[in-house]
Amino acid sequence: MSLKHLNILLADDDPDDCLFFKEALNGSVFTTHLTIVTDGEHLMEILLGDINSLPDVLFLDLNMPRKNGFECLSEIKLSNKLKSLPVIVLSTSLEQEVVNLLYQNGAKYFIRKPAEFSQFKKIIQHTITLMANVDQTKPTKENFVITLKND
Amino acid sequence: MDHNNESNQLIKLQKELAFEKGEKEKLIAELVVAKNEIAFQKEEKRKRAEELVIANKELAFQKVEKGKRATELGIANIELAYQDEEKGKRAKELGIANTEKGKRAAELGIANIELAYQDEEKGKRAKELGIANTEKGKRAAELGIANIELAYQDEEKGKRAEELIIANKELIFQNKEKENRAAELGIANKELALQNELKEKRADELIIANKELAFQNEEKEKRAAELIIANKELAFQNEEKGKRAAELIIANKELAFQNEEKEKRAEELSNANKELLAFTYISSHDLQEPLRKIQTFVSIILENEKLTENGKYNFQRMQLSAGRMQLLIDDLLAFSRIATTELKFEETEISKILEDVKAELKDTIQDKKAIIESRELCTAKIIPFQFRQLMYNLISNALKFSQPNLPSHIIISSRILKGGKLNNEKLSPEKNYYHIMVKDNGIGFEPHFSERIFGVFQKLHGKEVYAGTGIGLAIVKKIVENHNGFITATSELKKGATFDIYIPAN
Repeated sequence: MSLKHLNILLADDDPDDCLFFKEALNGSVFTTHLTIVTDGEHLMEILLGDINSLPDVLFLDLNMPRKNGFECLSEIKLSNKLKSLPVIVLSTSLEQEVVNLLYQNGAKYFIRKPAEFSQFKKIIQHTITLMANVDQTKPTKENFVITLKND
Repeated sequence: MDHNNESNQLIKLQKELAFEKGEKEKLIAELVVAKNEIAFQKEEKRKRAEELVIANKELAFQKVEKGKRATELGIANIELAYQDEEKGKRAKELGIANTEKGKRAAELGIANIELAYQDEEKGKRAKELGIANTEKGKRAAELGIANIELAYQDEEKGKRAEELIIANKELIFQNKEKENRAAELGIANKELALQNELKEKRADELIIANKELAFQNEEKEKRAAELIIANKELAFQNEEKGKRAAELIIANKELAFQNEEKEKRAEELSNANKELLAFTYISSHDLQEPLRKIQTFVSIILENEKLTENGKYNFQRMQLSAGRMQLLIDDLLAFSRIATTELKFEETEISKILEDVKAELKDTIQDKKAIIESRELCTAKIIPFQFRQLMYNLISNALKFSQPNLPSHIIISSRILKGGKLNNEKLSPEKNYYHIMVKDNGIGFEPHFSERIFGVFQKLHGKEVYAGTGIGLAIVKKIVENHNGFITATSELKKGATFDIYIPAN
């Protein structure tokens, strides 16, 4: 089963990054609907508010005001309603310990935001493709961090 | 007429007797003279008596002589006594005869003739008797004197003899006493001689003892003198010690204060270090975000905007700078993370770490057409996350510094061995060590850089030739040190490099 339309929720407080994300979605083979929240508390309110409007995938920034990405991830995975929601973590830095912790806490993928916009776009596109081909199995640890193969 | 004759004759006789009386008186006078003489002699005898003490020996001799004379005198006395007796008898007879003569005067007349004759005869005989009497008187006087003398002398002699006897007894007694005393003295002398001998021995011993004492006294005086000097020295040293002790107390207080200060400072430093590392970590982490955005915007501009060649070039330079800054921040972050993270040792397979790293470096390995050869990889009790970083840095370095036109060949081995079997003098021969080796065939470096390459920000090449921050090997060294080990680098220019890591295995 594959989806042609994706409801995407982005939780990131940085407007530039939100802009980059929007730009990265442009030109996708999939139709997407992007919703943006800029803090963790707001994120959790939306997720827990209307069970029928759950996104297909959540892109979660770790560094957010009021409630950070780790806390949000933990709450999501502890909630029966939300625990099946795929969460893809976005971060500027790549630290093994952080990565390990996120993997343990049930994040689907980890993306290190690349400096080059074209690469960022490719990663986002690639990830959306992965999500569109709904594969409910949890990826192996090796594949947890999404990297781009040199073309 | 007869009668006249007789009376004439009697007168004659009387005259004769008168004459005899006169003679006797003369003799008496002479006796007085003699008495005087005796008195004189007495005096002389007294003198002589004084001389008698000296003349006792003489007397003893005279005694004998006197004894002889005394016997002679005894005989003479007996003779004289006999003669005196005879004289007395004759005097009595004369008296009787005179009485008879009176009576017989008548008869005498008759017998006058007879008598005349007889007178004649008697006259003759009287003359003879007179002469004999004179002689006898003289002798008697002399004898009287001599007798008195002798009697006196006898008396004296008796006295003297008694005195002598007493004196002799006294002398005998005294002699006996003297002999007793002499005997006692002999014993006492022997005793004294023995005592003297003993005393002499003692005296000799005393002399030796005195000499010894004198020597000991001398020694004592020397010692005393030395002791005085030593005491002064000690007193001085004590004083010095006292001063030093006081100084030490002050110094100790000072030290205690300084130690306290040092501990405070050490704690402050430790805290400051932790803060600094935390600050480095956080700031590095937070610096990445704006930097990434600069890079992203530059990439968007370069992609989407129509720029002049010069503008494009400048943006590209900007992008490179931003890229280097990002590397720098990444490495700084890694370095500070090595220092701040908890050291959690786990039994880990080196091969597993190596696989992870190879996976991470897959693209580069492909680019470089590198061969990564692993030999006898053991398990080790290490900090896995740090060790992964270590292997990553070493292998990525080996790949980066490969020789142009020569495929990279990297050999990795890990093993446990006794220090004695490993060729490094810093190792204890009996202890077990993990020996991890990463060897490549890259460009290598001059041997004198083998220490320097482990310093922070130390680079041997310009950034245009080989990108890098110079932190990679510093991180490696830090990680090895976190494992209480050490790392060495051996190389020659263009002949590859070998990194040997030694970590205690217990």
